[in-house]
Amino acid sequence: MYTYLGRRLLSGFITLLGVVVVVFFMSRLTGSPIDLFFPEGAEPAQIDAFNKAYGLDKPLAQQFGIFLLNVGQGDFGTSIWQQRPAMEAALSEMPMTLLLAAIAMTISILVALILGSLAAVYRFRAVDRTITILSLMTSSMPHFWFALVGILIFAVQLRVLPTSGSNSWLSWILPIATVSIGPIGVLTQVVRGAMIDVLSSGYVRNARARGFSARRVVYRHALRNAALPIISVAGDIAAGMVNGAVIVSVVFAFPGIGRLIVGAILNRDYPVLEASVVVVGVSIILLNLLIDIICSIVDPRIRLN
Amino acid sequence: MRGFISSMITVASVATMTTALPAWAATSDKAITVVLAVELDSLDPCDTQPAQNANVVRGNVFESLTHVSPTSGKIEPLLAESWKQTSDKEWEFKLKKGVKFHDGTDFNAAAAAANIMRTQGGPNYAGIACLNSGQIPDPVKAEAVDDLTLKVMTSVVDPILPLRLSYVDIGDLASQSKPAKVLNPVGTGPYRFVSRKQGDAVKLTRFDRYWGGAPQIKDVTYIVRKEATVRASMVETGEAQIALSIQAQDATDDDRTVTFKDNRIFVMRPMTFKEPFKDPRVRQALSYAVDRDTIVPAILGVTGAPYYQMLGPQVNAYIPDYDEKSAMKYDPAKAKELIAAAKADGHPVDTPFDIITRPDILPDGGELVQAIAQNLKEIGLNVNIRSMENTAWREFLRQPFPPEQPPTLQMISHDNTSGDASFSFPKYITCKGINSAICNPEIDKLIAEAEVASGEKRAELYRKAAGILYQQAGFIGIAEQIRLIMLGEGVEYKANPLSGLEIKIADVRLKD
Repeated sequence: MYTYLGRRLLSGFITLLGVVVVVFFMSRLTGSPIDLFFPEGAEPAQIDAFNKAYGLDKPLAQQFGIFLLNVGQGDFGTSIWQQRPAMEAALSEMPMTLLLAAIAMTISILVALILGSLAAVYRFRAVDRTITILSLMTSSMPHFWFALVGILIFAVQLRVLPTSGSNSWLSWILPIATVSIGPIGVLTQVVRGAMIDVLSSGYVRNARARGFSARRVVYRHALRNAALPIISVAGDIAAGMVNGAVIVSVVFAFPGIGRLIVGAILNRDYPVLEASVVVVGVSIILLNLLIDIICSIVDPRIRLN
Repeated sequence: MRGFISSMITVASVATMTTALPAWAATSDKAITVVLAVELDSLDPCDTQPAQNANVVRGNVFESLTHVSPTSGKIEPLLAESWKQTSDKEWEFKLKKGVKFHDGTDFNAAAAAANIMRTQGGPNYAGIACLNSGQIPDPVKAEAVDDLTLKVMTSVVDPILPLRLSYVDIGDLASQSKPAKVLNPVGTGPYRFVSRKQGDAVKLTRFDRYWGGAPQIKDVTYIVRKEATVRASMVETGEAQIALSIQAQDATDDDRTVTFKDNRIFVMRPMTFKEPFKDPRVRQALSYAVDRDTIVPAILGVTGAPYYQMLGPQVNAYIPDYDEKSAMKYDPAKAKELIAAAKADGHPVDTPFDIITRPDILPDGGELVQAIAQNLKEIGLNVNIRSMENTAWREFLRQPFPPEQPPTLQMISHDNTSGDASFSFPKYITCKGINSAICNPEIDKLIAEAEVASGEKRAELYRKAAGILYQQAGFIGIAEQIRLIMLGEGVEYKANPLSGLEIKIADVRLKD
């Protein structure tokens, strides 16, 4: 087990190194902060002072070397936009994103397990067809569109939810729904497929022959064996929830790392952009590690291979 | 040269102009929320030029010595009581008595002088780059003669100095002495700064010792929602009382949606230094190719009207009879003829070029640009649309233009609320202008002459320059933009041509 974990950690570290290199050069491609923070025809002395303050006066290779040394110590520099340590800015926004993603993921998995199992048990019947159509609709629905329609229906017409912000628990409902709607559709399809496979297997037939109730067969025998593909896909979806977080930050002005990343790009704030992407990268690597561990517990054959 | 200022900017009123509400209604404990489209990026008094900053602080937290009247377009006193030109390059301003900063200190000539000097940058302020500095292109020196008398010396003859000083917002002296950006602004306006949480909200509260009398509304919260539909929805649901930058499809049919024109024109700027735009005939063909009368009303609806010049009707370079007499209106046959003639003379008219635009250039701007591109393709031009965000777009706007950069047709939404073309032409159409993609010595000469002239003579020189510019198709007007603000139930606000820059909360009234 420890060897397996060690291998996964090493591959996670290599991935993180790749993220650090890519984010450094990609952030430079967004353009220069000079164009944003300086008036037309600004004096060269002022621009020089700015470049010097943020280390932008050095050749790119040297900037990269200094960046790597500092990142090794957890120092991403000072935010150009917010005038505070970049890592502090990223870490302060991450908990909201993680909480949003955790709630959305939990809801997505629970709803998908129920709907997917129902569809598998009642395969090719009206329930299955309805669930399949609905899950295809939700998985192909653009987040952005869903968010705006949600506002118009629940905030403007029905007046039961706020349009945006994060001032009350009610303001969490539309962002969570926006982030979970797609994953519910995808996971329902995965659960359905996995359950259909498992329900037609020999040990399930055997369980039925022994007279176990349908509920016990589905939830104790079938679902556990169908869990592996569901966990794998859920892991991928959880990692992709950062995209959803960006959309909810734009539409609902919901706090979190998405809003910070968008702001950092628009403000050419390299330090915050780098720190935020690395924090997200670390979160996703840890999440994948967690999923690998769960998968290896559910199916011990995985670590042997 | 003296005594001309009051008559210099004779700007015609437009239909949207209305008289201001009685500003000082009885005070109340009421609060409002204003929802903006773009977050402010600086609270410094020397960064109030960009609209996102001005929307919050100009006229609310900060005031300037002079200001442009939104109703008459003339320069009026604000923190200055009067002024006179004592010699060609020297001015004297008498300041208002009894004005207090929000921290209780007195506003005086030393504070005004410090702000004027700091706004221009220079060696004492090397660490800061004031975004307002572009409004004072030639250095001036300011010094206090006594507490209420300010002397300003210009380095060139500048007949519109009082107008330029309307762009110098005044912060307290203590903050101005620091070579760092102001984070906790202290001004003289009717509202004082309370707090700012980046990415979330800016809060102001009424300044009860305001020299002009305390306004009605007590607390103001500014929040940002990037989506126009969300902004409009917030007003519908009562979560906000004022929403800026509303799109036509979200507008209401009643008086809760107010419109205003702020001399903002949607224009095309061809890169005249590169093919296929080196030949003026190709540039003229651009203008003849665009079917403004069809595409502008169809796409922009109430938020735009066809337009042919670069500057709005309130600016002194506006040519009143241009549309009837000289405008290059939709005529695709003529456009094709011009292209063919240029081609016959050896110009590579089929050189591909990029239309440079950005998603937020104006509401529904993406669709409008696509329609323009289609019009240009129909006359045989090789067009490619490149939509990018603001900073990348600005890199294409500004000189120097790298040789490897492809030929461009830059889409620009240009406003000039000052009424004077000197805030547009030197930057946009002279050979050395930072945003200029045209170089015509005749235009440069006229603009140089206009800079030191005043009144009708100044306007005439600018109009001549504009005439050459349009004939050369250096800038091609497409649409005059009409902007929308949405008000909540019980909110009264009369929009004016300055509303795109400053929404004075003191002018907003809540019904009982």
